[in-house]
Amino acid sequence: MPPFCALTRRQLLTAAPAAAAASIAGPIQAATRGIKFGLTPVFLSNDLELLDQLRTFLARRTGVEVVLVQRRTYEEITSLLVSGQLTAAWICGYPFVSYREELALVAVPVWRGRPLYQSYLIVDAARRASSLDDLEGDVHAFSDPNSNSGYLVTRAALANRQRRPEEFFRHSFFTYGHRNVVRAVASGLAQSGSVDGYVWEVISELEPELAGRTRVLEKSELLGFPPVACHRHLQDSPETLALKRALLDMNSDPLGAEVLKELRLDGFTDAKPSVFDGIAAKLALVRSLG
Amino acid sequence: MGVRRPTFIRLNPLHWPLALRVPALAVLMMVTVSAVVTDRVLTRLIDTQNRHLTELSDAYLDGVSSAVIPHVLREDVWEVYDALDRAAQRYEGLDIVWTTVVDPGGRVIASSRPRDFPLQTELPVPVRSRLNGASDSATNEDHGVFHVKRELKHQNRTIGAIYAEVRIGTLIEERKEVLATLIASNTALTLLFAIIGYIVVRRMMRPIRILSEHMRSGAEGSVAPVPAGLIGRPQSEFGQLFRRYNSLVEAVAERERLLKDLAEEERLAALGRLASGMAHEINNPIGGMLNAVDALKRHGDRTTVRATSIRLIERGLLGIRDIVRSSLATYRHRQAERPLTAADLDDLALLLQPEIKRKNLHLAWQNRVAREVSVPVGGVRDAALNLLLNACAATEPNGTVSFQAAATENGIELEVYDQGPGMQPAILDYINAPVAQPVPVSARSGLGLWMVKRFAHEVGGVLEATTSPCGGTSVRMKIPERKQPSTNTPELSHVA
Repeated sequence: MPPFCALTRRQLLTAAPAAAAASIAGPIQAATRGIKFGLTPVFLSNDLELLDQLRTFLARRTGVEVVLVQRRTYEEITSLLVSGQLTAAWICGYPFVSYREELALVAVPVWRGRPLYQSYLIVDAARRASSLDDLEGDVHAFSDPNSNSGYLVTRAALANRQRRPEEFFRHSFFTYGHRNVVRAVASGLAQSGSVDGYVWEVISELEPELAGRTRVLEKSELLGFPPVACHRHLQDSPETLALKRALLDMNSDPLGAEVLKELRLDGFTDAKPSVFDGIAAKLALVRSLG
Repeated sequence: MGVRRPTFIRLNPLHWPLALRVPALAVLMMVTVSAVVTDRVLTRLIDTQNRHLTELSDAYLDGVSSAVIPHVLREDVWEVYDALDRAAQRYEGLDIVWTTVVDPGGRVIASSRPRDFPLQTELPVPVRSRLNGASDSATNEDHGVFHVKRELKHQNRTIGAIYAEVRIGTLIEERKEVLATLIASNTALTLLFAIIGYIVVRRMMRPIRILSEHMRSGAEGSVAPVPAGLIGRPQSEFGQLFRRYNSLVEAVAERERLLKDLAEEERLAALGRLASGMAHEINNPIGGMLNAVDALKRHGDRTTVRATSIRLIERGLLGIRDIVRSSLATYRHRQAERPLTAADLDDLALLLQPEIKRKNLHLAWQNRVAREVSVPVGGVRDAALNLLLNACAATEPNGTVSFQAAATENGIELEVYDQGPGMQPAILDYINAPVAQPVPVSARSGLGLWMVKRFAHEVGGVLEATTSPCGGTSVRMKIPERKQPSTNTPELSHVA
């Protein structure tokens, strides 16, 4: 893919109306200079070297300056994204379906051959429990209130039982990071936790001692993998398009392939929004309970 | 002269020799000093450790407080836990067992050991009670831990508290090591000082011991000067002391020589007195014999006169022979000794007759020596004669002097009794002393007693004297028998 400065006239002409429309629609500024790429804790954000490799790769492939924006919560990144302050962000499926009207898909990671993943319900490795029902009265660790795997899936499972987390669990708290959920359960701070299945699997490979202190009690059905999304008004901006191409062609670049290998991902795909219908259904279920 | 070592040590330290007392005192002082120093060192060490521990724990709690306060305000369990977890790894100077943050109601918000301090539970009572009240820290040495507490304040409002347990096993181990080192070094030093003290004092006391041994030997009768080889430097204190002692010994020896000379003179004087008595005793028979001779010259032709004169001459000669025999046996020079018989003592009564008659005394003589006794004949006779002469001198005219002699199982026992005014206490003490002592010379005592005492001491005998409150003195002498009596030499064979 040619660098941003080498974009063709056609590409520029194609992108210009979209940018103009965006500027009229609201305070969309992300496309003006460079790429601001948001990262949520769904990503293994504690590896600074990996982040630097990702930023280097994206900058080189898009030809513009890339700034990686990290916040503690999904909500902060989602707000930045929805308000147009980010070019794109790697968010969770839950905020994507929540803001389906405002957001558009850029690319969806492919893990184990599919753009899908699962939510895990984990407990202490030595604990005797067989289902979510055995966890009543626990201290439970959620990842983030805007996380699909780290909150919505468990909440929906409870909604199916006409229960709510605040009365089902003795106490629950948010760790704002999937790895933190694993740490909380492994240390005994929480007796059970809701965690991203992809993150748990990667941790069990990279930090087997930590993951080994926990046990997967239940796995959810396959759901849409946390996607890279952008503001709907910026989906055709040159930066977004350049970013999309960079992600979709990541495997063809040595550095990109290295980053994917580190992330234990197969690549990115241009998936349909319908991939997240399952999450949308859960959201609807939860909302129906009130 | 060799230095006599103590054969046993009494239990009472006051009776110990100086060579032991001074090192024992040094040990006692060192133990006292060691105990005080050890106590001070350990106290300072504990103070220093506590100060460092307090400073470190304060720094730790300061850091943790500032890290967790925002999260406590937001009741963010995970962030509080994460802050505690990270802090525990950061403060390597402290061996933190656990840190727990509680809300104002004492319920756990988060702990670095969540399994021991579950969320929303009360802090265990032992921990709370240990840090109750105003105290912010408490040491539990039995379990090797130190507890600290810090209240979390925000805008002058208490929003919770931090409790932490710090392991102080290494500090306690350090104290034990210091204590062991102090005890080991102090024990080594104490032993060293005790040994040095013993050697030094023993060396310092050596002259005193030498002097003490010489004086003890002198008290037993043989006074000898300190050999020049033991005196050391003449200018030293002990050198001067030894020289003065040697001068004293020489003076005593000179005094003894003089006493011997005096005794000899007195013996000769007594001999003179006896000789004059003997002359008187001999003079009477000679007068009779001369009359008999004269009668023979004039009427020798008469049978009756001749026979009467010859009987008179014979009796006179026999009397003279007895007197001469006794004198010769008493005053001849000492020859080889023979066993003592009853006759040796009976002779003394004959020698004493002039003095008895001179003072008109009565002599009560009881000689029960029924066997030969192996004792120095001359010495016993001299001693008995001296005692009898002293008794005669002490007894007033018309008084009685008694003499008793008997052979015992082990030797011979003599007793002389007078009716004099009694002995002076000093003389009595001198006689009854177990060993020979300087004689308390006085005008009345003479040197006879000194000679008798010396003789009794030389042959291993005993001399005892008692004075009755009503007057009169009894002097008893016991002379042990020799193991092997010397050859029986006929002493009187040359006497006519």
